Amino acid sequence: MLPAGCSRRLVAELRGALDACAERQLQLEQSLRVSRRLLRAWEPAGTLAPEPPPGPETKEEDPSPACTPSSQDLKELELLTQALEKAVWVRKGISKAGGRHKAPSLKSGFFATSPGTTASTPPWAPGQTGSHASEAKLSRGIHQTTVPAKGHPEHRLPSAEHRARVGVEARAARPGPGLRDQDVAPLAAPQAPEAFTLKEKGSLLQLPAAFRKAASQNSRLWAQLSSAQPRDSTDATATAKTQFLQKMQTASGRPGPVLSAVEVEAEVGRLQEACSLLRLRMREELSAGPTDWMQEYRGLLTLEGLQAIARQCLHRLQELRAALAEQPLGPCPVGRPSRASLPCGGGTGSSWSPQLLLYSSTQELQTLAALRLRVAMLDQQMHLEKVLMAELLPLVSSQELPSLALCRAVHSLLCEGGEHFLTILHDDPAD
Amino acid sequence: MGRRRRLVDPAAKAGAGALPEVIAALSRSLPAGPSPEIFRRAKFDRPEAAPALWRLLFRLLSPLSADGASPTLAQEAQASLVKSALRSQGYPRLALAQLPEDGSRGSRELLLALSWLLARAPLPERLLAQAHVQLGDEMPVCECEALASPGPWALHVEAEGPVDIRCVQWLMGRLRFRWRCLTASQQEQCTLLSKIHLYTRGCHSDRSLGHLSVAETEMLRDPEGGQQVGGQGRGPQWSTARQALQEAVEQELAALRWAWEQDRGPARPHGPHRLVRLGDEAPGGQYLRAAEVIQALKSQEACLEAALRRLQGQCRQELARLAGALPGLIWILPPRR
Repeated sequence: MLPAGCSRRLVAELRGALDACAERQLQLEQSLRVSRRLLRAWEPAGTLAPEPPPGPETKEEDPSPACTPSSQDLKELELLTQALEKAVWVRKGISKAGGRHKAPSLKSGFFATSPGTTASTPPWAPGQTGSHASEAKLSRGIHQTTVPAKGHPEHRLPSAEHRARVGVEARAARPGPGLRDQDVAPLAAPQAPEAFTLKEKGSLLQLPAAFRKAASQNSRLWAQLSSAQPRDSTDATATAKTQFLQKMQTASGRPGPVLSAVEVEAEVGRLQEACSLLRLRMREELSAGPTDWMQEYRGLLTLEGLQAIARQCLHRLQELRAALAEQPLGPCPVGRPSRASLPCGGGTGSSWSPQLLLYSSTQELQTLAALRLRVAMLDQQMHLEKVLMAELLPLVSSQELPSLALCRAVHSLLCEGGEHFLTILHDDPAD
Repeated sequence: MGRRRRLVDPAAKAGAGALPEVIAALSRSLPAGPSPEIFRRAKFDRPEAAPALWRLLFRLLSPLSADGASPTLAQEAQASLVKSALRSQGYPRLALAQLPEDGSRGSRELLLALSWLLARAPLPERLLAQAHVQLGDEMPVCECEALASPGPWALHVEAEGPVDIRCVQWLMGRLRFRWRCLTASQQEQCTLLSKIHLYTRGCHSDRSLGHLSVAETEMLRDPEGGQQVGGQGRGPQWSTARQALQEAVEQELAALRWAWEQDRGPARPHGPHRLVRLGDEAPGGQYLRAAEVIQALKSQEACLEAALRRLQGQCRQELARLAGALPGLIWILPPRR
């Protein structure tokens, strides 16, 4: 067991990271719900069935202690189970003669388990968007087995009540609730004549006049606000602000810190990034074989330039260190990250209304979003790595004879991001 | 028109006449904004104004802009966090640190702290930019708050007692799983977004945008219920060639510096930008291209990965040293990818 203080701090950090991810996931899922709904056929007003309620992983953190599973964990386990079941199903389907229609095995698979247990609902990987095809197969499968007496399924629904039910069926993006009523006449997607799909008729939409008016007024106000900014910076207000800040500083009686803790941390972060970039560039330069003397000269210039920058960074670092030695700063409490001391409000100086970001293809958008997420996750990982190092390395080195399990776990966490493990063998002398 | 101008430019009018309007505007626009009466009482250091100002400062200083992310933190906890946040930002006055955290007094000092924050950074504008109605599909181009952990600012259930290292491993594994889920969901969202943009081409009244955003489309569906520098060529003569080379290298190194010097030099783009799929014509005015942002992010990714590997290498060395002290064991490291 880890000591109490160490446990508390580690668990708190990890829980913080988990919470941040959960919140982001929640936002994403909300957006996904809205987007999916927009891309399906739009229901005529009045027959909107309520959305399936969001999963239990809302803001309330699990009140149970850290190591007992929460509802969020159960949900994740469910997803894992479903993914595994699908894998099994796919494998089974492949091992049987490939040409056979999948529906029978699907049906039998479905009815082998009672519909009450959510964990054994028909396996399909969560997060698949264009799953209308599998929905259709599923629904048809149910219909064929449960209501054979009704004959062929109807593809036109006369009554609004059926349409509403169908709406619910089509909306059951998550397995479970929609499949409870097996006697409902299910259909793949409503084929009602007035169905509106974005794909076919999206370009015919038009924003209402009231909205357009409000939107143009909105942009006018933003323009007005941003035009007021430059005046402020040259105005008497700027001098008034500086005077006020200076008065605050002198009234406190202290000479005042040149830099606050946040600024120092930000600057150190920048210097670290600089160091990384310089190192990368230097390696590139050294590994590139120059083909002619012109290139070699260019390489020389680059290396000299890099050296000069490195010298400046080092100098700056020494300055910071000297400044810190003179005045000890308080602890920095901001959680993560401390890059922005105040919430990042956006805008680059003059304009505060959101500017445009142009992308040219789905691929580009995906790359952009994936990179953003990757950088944020790496950030988190770096922070956790530092915390783990600070807590675990002293622990292992302070113990006379650390348990092998501990060593193995610490190595895995610190050196492999928790993904790989080393093997420890007793070195028995060969007989 | 006259009144609006006065509100936008209150500082031009010296004197107390404009002050009540400014206070009223401030009170309306700040999140958890106290009433103008509270400001007045704080000026006279009335004790009853203190709790509201503590709450305001907490709300302004907590890193998450989220809607009431930490409503349940007690007064003392909030006050303590506000104190240390201000101290780490360099708040000069000691009097704040000496205030009692139960909110029983100190409203004047808190008012000073608020003024200090307002004087240092354009706080109201930033908050406004954060809280504005999002008509478009917005994506931040910086990662200032992408996966910000609430840290000490949120209420955490304390662990019951000491835990095993395996619990830490398990939590780490959960975190990795959540990262994977996030990536998958994010990819799906991009695909859907791209489709919606594509299908609604030509609808927007604003020609420079071209298509609708999810918020706007949703509103229609349910009205009831939003460079980089290049190199240079070479001249025929050696001196011109050399000069050109020198300039090229300088520009390259300047771009390198730009990559990490965020606050100096050209401002790095921050904050949310409205996503627009490129149509036939480029929109007027200022805009960012996704390719530029991707480049910046790629270099950041490379930096972070390198830094992480370095840290892991340090750990490996340290642990190898400690393992050396344990005789009679063979350590087989996992194969390098």
